[in-house]
Amino acid sequence: MIDALPLAVTLPLIGALAVTVWPAHARGLGLAGALITAVSALTVTTEVWSRGALRADLGGWGAPLGIALEADGLSAAFLAMANLVALAVSVYAGGYFKRETARHFWPLWLLLWSALNGLFLAADLFNLYVTLELLGLSAAALGALTGTREAVAANLRYLLVGLLGSMSYLLGVALVYAAYGVLDIGLVAEAVEPGPVAWTAMTLMIGGLILKAALFPMHFWLPPAHANAPAPVSAALSALVVKAAFYLALRLWLDVFAPVLGEAAANLLGILGAGAVVWGSWRALRAERLKLLAAYSTVAQMGYLFIAFPLLAATPPGLARENLLAAVVLLALTHGFAKAGLFLAAGMVQKTAGHDRIDELGGAAQALPAATFAIGLAGVALIGLPPSGTFLAKWMMLEQAMILGLWWWLVVMMVGTLLAAAYIFRVLSRAFNREPTPYRFVNDASTELPALLLGLIATFGLGIAAQPLWRLLEQGAFG
Amino acid sequence: MIRPLEHIVIPSGLIALGGLLGWSLFLAITGETGDRLAEIALARVPDSGVSNPVTSVLLNFRAYDTLLELAVLLTALLGIWSLGAAGPGFQKAASVLEGMVAGFVPLLILSAGYMLWVGAYAPGGAFQAGALLGAAGVMLALAGHRNAGLPSEDRLRPLVALGVFVFAITGVLLAVVGGGFLTYPAGLAKWLILIIETAATLSIGATLAAAYLGGRPAPEHATRESA
Repeated sequence: MIDALPLAVTLPLIGALAVTVWPAHARGLGLAGALITAVSALTVTTEVWSRGALRADLGGWGAPLGIALEADGLSAAFLAMANLVALAVSVYAGGYFKRETARHFWPLWLLLWSALNGLFLAADLFNLYVTLELLGLSAAALGALTGTREAVAANLRYLLVGLLGSMSYLLGVALVYAAYGVLDIGLVAEAVEPGPVAWTAMTLMIGGLILKAALFPMHFWLPPAHANAPAPVSAALSALVVKAAFYLALRLWLDVFAPVLGEAAANLLGILGAGAVVWGSWRALRAERLKLLAAYSTVAQMGYLFIAFPLLAATPPGLARENLLAAVVLLALTHGFAKAGLFLAAGMVQKTAGHDRIDELGGAAQALPAATFAIGLAGVALIGLPPSGTFLAKWMMLEQAMILGLWWWLVVMMVGTLLAAAYIFRVLSRAFNREPTPYRFVNDASTELPALLLGLIATFGLGIAAQPLWRLLEQGAFG
Repeated sequence: MIRPLEHIVIPSGLIALGGLLGWSLFLAITGETGDRLAEIALARVPDSGVSNPVTSVLLNFRAYDTLLELAVLLTALLGIWSLGAAGPGFQKAASVLEGMVAGFVPLLILSAGYMLWVGAYAPGGAFQAGALLGAAGVMLALAGHRNAGLPSEDRLRPLVALGVFVFAITGVLLAVVGGGFLTYPAGLAKWLILIIETAATLSIGATLAAAYLGGRPAPEHATRESA
């Protein structure tokens, strides 16, 4: 049997080459590539589910010399979310782009997908840098596809910020390599010991990653870049690309730098996260455009994920910590589905109305019941109302904060939730303020159904059926 | 006039940061460690099919990194193409420059071939050879050849995708026949590396020259030989 791990990276790469060579058939080939990629990645997740952590030594050289790919519960969970969202985005994009743009979208999109899968599966610090470069470059190019001045300017900034983040990460990797002489995550984890070297390397690597994850106050590049990209690209950038940086920060935190960490570092990340929650939610509430609202909401939602760091640091190992970790992952996954659904639906509204100014959306949203419903569902998940996955995750985080006596995180999360409710209802209230009868529930199946489906998964799928995630995360630790 | 922020705070902050990094690096290098990766790699070079340690790391031990790096190059070019067509380019060179270019470009192509071959046992390899081909393209573009000697877009697309394609397909085929992804069978390593490097050289050269044009190549009349 062929190893599924390298295939999840190679298949989208080969798909990208096919659409590069035959741009006239970009849509058909691209959709085929998307389907095959998603199937191969989901195979990895089911394998991890049934057999435990997987590892593939590429080139057959083994740990210190060669590069390995590895999938444990954490990577398998992110991999599954990313590939389901990417598949929905692909179906949507199939109907969204005109022929001329599609020629450019598909190769870059499949390259981005390849980078994402590569990042989730990588077990080597330098290889992770290469995937970060591939991810950042393809993401910035995709974001500029609309070709407007704002989009190009915002994405050029995004590219430069991304490069700065990668460079900082690479500097950290160089330091780790100089000190310990190995790059494999498992081996570095064994070698690392507290001291100025590990401390500086950690700061450089995690610092670079939080820049890429748009953690407040390094979020300045995100709203213009995400709000000006074409809708399917915005969905992928907000749901997946920033999430990949968070995944990597979490991975390094848990697996590599665990012995080095102090509570101070965790608290710093938590404070920045709290700033992100409050500031991002506030700006989302004040946003005039739907896509800008969604982008600021991403800033806020990334904040919740970083609030988890001080909670994780304060919780002693055991069941409570495992539950908390699963809650954080659940929050990240739910946000992935919900935000992608929100952006796809917003793109549909924008395309129909010709604009996305929230105050003037009334009629347009009425004409698109399915898209409006998807916005509503995604909103439920973003606020954290039951039965969404966010509700469950936030509940567990709040509970743990209470048990630890760290009540201030609780206040921040409450404020963020209230503000989220305010900005979501602000959109929904505009959508229902006029009364023409909807013509049809679904107007354009290929673009509306993916959004709807993502919203449904975020609200019902991950909330009611969150149990499997716990089991998946039990599958083996990295290294 | 001294502005405190610009002249004192930022420079001294940067100096402190640089000092901290230098200190960490010093500690890292002088720290006690066991077997370092470089020594393990040097010891295994004879098993890699080539005798140049750099090539054996790039194309064998860490071939997967190189595959993704080629994909990064391709992504950069596709990103440039997505932004629009190339500008009008330079005007036709006068006879002196044209004569020099006519002499240099074949030499560059020849040196690229040499670099590619010599990479197996001495400094060289696909990236160096590709850079020389790219330089040949840049020279042609500077001398007023509209598409830097590259073929038309229809034929350029397969050319820039070739390197990643050969690399990735080799990896998958090796996995299919049972060795594992990019695991070269003993004895074949040298030839597989040469095939991959040849394809990569052509793609790197074409990609660099095309990137220099700064946009999609002009559709009509493809100029002369491919770089």
